[in-house]
Amino acid sequence: MDFELSEEQRLIIDNVRRFIREEIRPLEADLDPDAYRLKPEDEARLEAMTNEMGLFQMDVPQEYGGPGVDTVTRTLIAEELSQHRAGLYAPAYGVFGSGPQGQLYNATESQKENYLWPTIRGEKHGFFGLSEPSGGSDPARAIQTRGVRDGDEWVINGGKLWNSGADTADYGIVYVRTDPTKGRQGITAFIVDTDTPGFRVNRLVQVLRSHYTTELSFSDMRVPHENILGEEGGGFALANDYLARNRIPYSAAGIGVAVYAHEIAIEWAKQRVTFGEPLASRQAIQWMLVDNEIDIRTARWACLAAADKAEKGLPFRFESSMAKLISTEGAGRVVDRCMQIMGGLGMSKDLPMERWYRELRIRRIGEGPSEVQRIVMARDLLNIGSGSR
Amino acid sequence: MRIRKPWTAWDDALDWKQLPGAMGVYELADADQRTLYIGKASGTSPFGLRGELCRHFTTAEALAGANWTHPRMGEDLPSIKGKARFYRYEVNHNYYSRWIEVLTRYREDHETLPPGNLEDPEQPPPLGRYHWKSEDAARGL
Repeated sequence: MDFELSEEQRLIIDNVRRFIREEIRPLEADLDPDAYRLKPEDEARLEAMTNEMGLFQMDVPQEYGGPGVDTVTRTLIAEELSQHRAGLYAPAYGVFGSGPQGQLYNATESQKENYLWPTIRGEKHGFFGLSEPSGGSDPARAIQTRGVRDGDEWVINGGKLWNSGADTADYGIVYVRTDPTKGRQGITAFIVDTDTPGFRVNRLVQVLRSHYTTELSFSDMRVPHENILGEEGGGFALANDYLARNRIPYSAAGIGVAVYAHEIAIEWAKQRVTFGEPLASRQAIQWMLVDNEIDIRTARWACLAAADKAEKGLPFRFESSMAKLISTEGAGRVVDRCMQIMGGLGMSKDLPMERWYRELRIRRIGEGPSEVQRIVMARDLLNIGSGSR
Repeated sequence: MRIRKPWTAWDDALDWKQLPGAMGVYELADADQRTLYIGKASGTSPFGLRGELCRHFTTAEALAGANWTHPRMGEDLPSIKGKARFYRYEVNHNYYSRWIEVLTRYREDHETLPPGNLEDPEQPPPLGRYHWKSEDAARGL
């Protein structure tokens, strides 16, 4: 493996880094410490800039009009994009474009016309409807939302939980048990318009960070058969592939926050004098900083290894789980140490540390808890369950 | 969901120390307890909910004996100034998303934002939809 960046990668990373430092960070001085949106005028101005940089909608494949960024470069960019206060969950406040959920590229031509293309153009937004009150880590067994075919339609009853953005979405990709006798082969993905009669947002669920998810219910919600995404009974495989791919940039974003926190802590340690000496001269502080560096580099290598395998078309499920586990747990430790170094200032809303601390705690659960990542890896190591290394 | 607490009439004799300095969301209402404004005490609000509520209801002169003042004391929006009589609040660390939630609930029930929020220079991000009205709305509240 070559650890050196190519000339093109270096140029892209330098541009993105400059953009975050010079365009995004200064705007945060005027935003609420927990804000996750820019003012509309800033959003429009910065989107025009990312378009000019050729990096708008970078997750959209080239054949659909995207810039065609490879997975390794995308991972490097993800680490840069999160290096600001809102960066972990709102990298660059979304001005690089968000793109559709990956499963939509498996859609039929008519579905693409109705959902994929409008999403790429920013006219429609979708949500991901997998988890239910009965669980999220084991969707093959936990999904109880039931779909029964009635002529050219399916009648769906049940509900979903933890669906970010469902209250503002135009449609969702909803995973439904269509055949209770077939286990994971009995789950089907449907594209559901949110104005379908029977679709209801019961409530918003507030969480540790300044964000909410939704609780949804479906009562005799009739969805056309043609809204099945992929094959009937093929929903689980579709969701699994999406989750594994998503883990790599998700992991890299955690590293970015750790990098920025570490930079702030190093500066502080050099400047802050206690008992007549700078903090940086204390062995306790030096060790914390070194441990930060070790956590950051370990996570970065794990993410790049996963991205490299994914890019080469090799099985990468083990690596993406490992990257997710190492980066989320490592970044949490880094921010925790930085807060300890910063003292009272680290707790205040004057700095982003307290926000990252809360947000990183969620990262150990979101997109599959650390324990589930270990289960995925153990299955591969022991050659049990589906998939291979 | 809405803020579920009962409305409290503003009392000029209230000891401001009784109001929390924490972050959170609040509502102001007129004499008929119709919501005029849904606000938030953010991480940068000086004096938290205490400061935000006092700035709507009281004056710098009235707080002359206190050891603090709000920089926007008395600068109220036209639809609130002199009309707000009641308040209720909720201490909430996640004031920002809760603010959006309360605004979303209000807009879904009333098909518009409270008058004060329509005039407010700080507009919320695009609000979502629930696709249903609350029981309170059905009762005309």
